[in-house]
Amino acid sequence: MGRTSFYSEIGRNKRNSVLLVVAILLILLVLVYIISEIFLPEYALMLLIFVGIFVIVDAYMSYKHGDKIILKATNAKPADPVKHAYYLNTVEGLALAAGLPVPKAYVLPDKDINAFATGRDPEHASIAVTQGALDKLNRQELEGVIAHEMSHIGNHDIRFFTLIAVFVGLVAILSHIFLRSLLYSGGGNSGNRDDAGLLIIAGLILAIIAPIVVRLVQLSISRKREYLADATGVKLTRYPPGLAGALEKIKKYNQGRMNVSEAVSHLFISDPKNTFMDNIFATHPPIDRRIEKLRSM
Amino acid sequence: MAILWIFLGVVVLFVLILVYYINKIIGVHNRVKNAWAQIDVQLKKRADLVPNLIETVKGYAKHEREVFENVTKARSAILSAQTVQQKAEANNMLTGALKSLFAVAEGYPELKASENFKLFQEQLDGIESKIAYARQFYNDAVLEYNNTIQMVPGRFFAGIMGKTPEQFFEIEEAERAVPKVKF
Repeated sequence: MGRTSFYSEIGRNKRNSVLLVVAILLILLVLVYIISEIFLPEYALMLLIFVGIFVIVDAYMSYKHGDKIILKATNAKPADPVKHAYYLNTVEGLALAAGLPVPKAYVLPDKDINAFATGRDPEHASIAVTQGALDKLNRQELEGVIAHEMSHIGNHDIRFFTLIAVFVGLVAILSHIFLRSLLYSGGGNSGNRDDAGLLIIAGLILAIIAPIVVRLVQLSISRKREYLADATGVKLTRYPPGLAGALEKIKKYNQGRMNVSEAVSHLFISDPKNTFMDNIFATHPPIDRRIEKLRSM
Repeated sequence: MAILWIFLGVVVLFVLILVYYINKIIGVHNRVKNAWAQIDVQLKKRADLVPNLIETVKGYAKHEREVFENVTKARSAILSAQTVQQKAEANNMLTGALKSLFAVAEGYPELKASENFKLFQEQLDGIESKIAYARQFYNDAVLEYNNTIQMVPGRFFAGIMGKTPEQFFEIEEAERAVPKVKF
């Protein structure tokens, strides 16, 4: 494949993720429109508002406190200033290169090579790497990994993901409410319309596939942002072979057995837990493709 | 009547664009100034390491007078430097003096093995990397600023504001030569 620059990679992935968000919003809008066209029993509106508020508050809570939760769940320990001097210096250096405040640095006890970034904004961010990463990666590879995580912080990906999770949640709940209402009220006040039957069928199909489609789009966004973090990381280190080397080692060594819930696996640099869902429902792009792109920069 | 509304709309649009570009130009220019200051922070950190580093090395190699004097002289030059030129020269002097210090330390195996010294080496390596990263960020900031004031339509507003392009941080020609490693 021909050579590409990290600038064009950055631009491409930003544009693509915006387009995908628009796609989710459109599906949400269409769903709302069809539901309101078919029927709107009084209680459904109240339920909608109540559930909407619940989804938003839940997302906001996880946005604000999610970092403490995941750090606790993964047994993250703060990095030691003497033992982990190189790691801390690298985090500080890359924060300088990115023009970001220095995130808090943690170490995870796992043997797999992995890392994640969390925190609601760059001023409240944390980075964690596994002991496996510190042991098995050389300096350039570790820098590549940390630069990738720093990029997630700089690109505000945590906020981005939370926002999308809200929309996806809304679509899922709307579809659910719609299907249940159909079941119980059998079409409400739509009986007067000529195209009532067609609308109900369309609504039914949409309500069933919308949650799945929107989830697939969300995963696609997650993959685009991973490519974006790879490319932005290269902008920080100006050394693509660093991250490429780390990914090759990850491919070789990782067992995929970290004890982490699927909900947060998208925050890691590589899928921490291999499950059978990974083929269509992958949060991360295929490792070979990531290495290929990096080697062509 | 319609023409009046259209005219008003165009004026509002123009004002919005004007505000956007003025703010953008000021923002990216301030980022350049901040980035330059960040380099200074790292250079100062390096200068501050010097007294303790000298004490550590003296503990094992107290007769290497010349090397200590050079490093101390360079640090004093940094502290008393006033202009940008003076500061740059003083920092170059320190870089050279530190290189000699570490070269001399090679001949003292006990010093090299001491944990304190190893920590200093790590800290100095870290600071040199940070200086490099800070300079890289400065150049990135200069690129964005120069692009903003040279491309259309930023260039029209930049002209009114009297903004001129900034210079990239460049190394001396002599430093560009690839070092020859001899064994």
